[in-house]
Amino acid sequence: MNLRKIGAITRKEFYHLIRDYRSLYLAFAIPLILILLFGYALSLDVEDVRTVVVDYDGTKQSRDLVRRLDASPYFQVVAHLKNSQEAADWLDHGWTTLALVIPPDWTRNIQADREAPLQVLLDGSDPNFANISAGYITAFLERENTKYLHNFLNRQGREQMKPPLEGRIRIWFNEDLESRNFIIPGIIAVIIMIVGAMLTSLVIAREYENGTMETIKSLPISAGEFIVGKAIPYFFITLADVLIAVLMGQVLFGIVMKANFWLMITASSLYLAVAITLGLLISSATKSQLVANQVAPLVTFLPSMLLSDFVFPVLNMPPVIQTITYIVPARYFIDILKGIYMKNLDITYLWPSFAVLFVMAAILAVLNVIVLKREGM
Amino acid sequence: MNTSTNRQSGNSDAIQVKDLEKRFGKFVAVNKVTFSVRRGEIFGFLGSNGSGKSTTIRMLCGILTPTAGQGTVAGHDIFREPEEIKQSIGYMSQKFSLYEDLSPFENIRFYLGIYNVSPTLWAERISWVLDMTQLGDVRDRLTRELPQGWRQRLALGCALLHKPDILFLDEPTSGVDPLTRQHFWDFIRQLASQGITIFVTTHYMDEARHCERIVMINQGAIVAAGTPDEIIRKACPDKENADLNDAFITLMKN
Repeated sequence: MNLRKIGAITRKEFYHLIRDYRSLYLAFAIPLILILLFGYALSLDVEDVRTVVVDYDGTKQSRDLVRRLDASPYFQVVAHLKNSQEAADWLDHGWTTLALVIPPDWTRNIQADREAPLQVLLDGSDPNFANISAGYITAFLERENTKYLHNFLNRQGREQMKPPLEGRIRIWFNEDLESRNFIIPGIIAVIIMIVGAMLTSLVIAREYENGTMETIKSLPISAGEFIVGKAIPYFFITLADVLIAVLMGQVLFGIVMKANFWLMITASSLYLAVAITLGLLISSATKSQLVANQVAPLVTFLPSMLLSDFVFPVLNMPPVIQTITYIVPARYFIDILKGIYMKNLDITYLWPSFAVLFVMAAILAVLNVIVLKREGM
Repeated sequence: MNTSTNRQSGNSDAIQVKDLEKRFGKFVAVNKVTFSVRRGEIFGFLGSNGSGKSTTIRMLCGILTPTAGQGTVAGHDIFREPEEIKQSIGYMSQKFSLYEDLSPFENIRFYLGIYNVSPTLWAERISWVLDMTQLGDVRDRLTRELPQGWRQRLALGCALLHKPDILFLDEPTSGVDPLTRQHFWDFIRQLASQGITIFVTTHYMDEARHCERIVMINQGAIVAAGTPDEIIRKACPDKENADLNDAFITLMKN
């Protein structure tokens, strides 16, 4: 490794970068768009479930029930409808997620200590959302039931009693259960892959297409020096993107890293090395910018999005897919970031993921050198 | 001990190959060629497209590893020391292979770095090359904006920045007008007189006359070797006023 040779490649690569505004656009505009898009749009939290009510009963008691439902942060009563047919219509149009139908004689049944069923209709076209909404409404009705039970017992002349069991739930790591808090680590992983791997997937292919690769082969520079020289400018550009993402996460979404900043930078650098060596390998293997452009999203962006535990939990995947996720670098990086961002873990807990990323980068770098050597470098 | 013998023979010969062979699977691209190039000589390497010419040049420049045979370039073994060979030769190919979105100055700096020239020499070498190529006025323009002939001069200048022992020119003048070619050859002769060995391939037979000695290759094997006049006499003994073109066509036929 000769520093002067590496420097010559780096400087040249830097000139390419600043003279091709499209790569710069990709390097800085894409991360900004992604953070804004994901931060604001991709909220996996369920709040204010749109609810319509059909109240056939029409008593003070039924109106109180609806008022309590509306007052809870989880439901928003958007309309009071005349009959079930109208409620079905609203569900068909997707104007509401949930319809609560209170049958006639509901209050009278309660007062007579008879069963007093309520009908709940849910739009299941988004199963995840419907599941969570069903959970909310069940919990809500359960609470109502308890209240009636207490009233009943108290009426029986017992002294005031409290239910004996009470789960005191404390949520660790992401106390507010805000999905944004884990979206930012995920988005950093995706940004690094997009900028680090997609940009670099073009740079060796470009040399082949312009015929300059033939010159490079005739020059006294080793494959290793060539790879390192090419990687350096992209390394710093992508690292700048990481800092932008962290800053935007703090300023816009108030997401503060709990653990050591430098640990996070070290992890990002390792993952970046994986992304860049992967991009360069795609480039030297395909030798065509067009093909590289097709291959790169498939092997870099999509797996880091889908198979990394970012949007979709790996634990819910079929075993075959779960096995595949073990070779997705983003999985290890997101594991580290979640530990750093939410759990305030240090290296003693996180080192296995660090080690895996290091080994991945090393293997990819060696493959790169082998491919280039075979081409005559 | 092998290297010591190489160095000794290197005193007179810049390039020496014996039974050099390159196969791609079953296809024999270069079939046991043997020749040598003397120091400071302008040596022509001629052949039609697909004759094995490019493969041979690539083996000599340390880009391709030969399948069999032996050889030295600038005193370095072509099997074991490709990096040392690359450091002691200059190579310029038909595409001029410059970075077109870089200026001449930036291209020159790139080559200085890659050739590991000490920075104390940079200023001197840069002005030397800009002088020689007469590109001083356009040193900061983008290379892609320069005319073909100027880019060719720049490519040649870049290949000389580290003062190589041997200069390989792979069809250096294709697509260049006759006047520029004339200037180019004047310059090449000047370099040769300074002791730099020139190894050149060309399609233009009038250009090949500038060479002191020529080897012609067809279907991977050498079909003629010698001075231009010797080759013409041997290939076309019966034809009056035969030129190198006639010899080339006769030799490439079979």
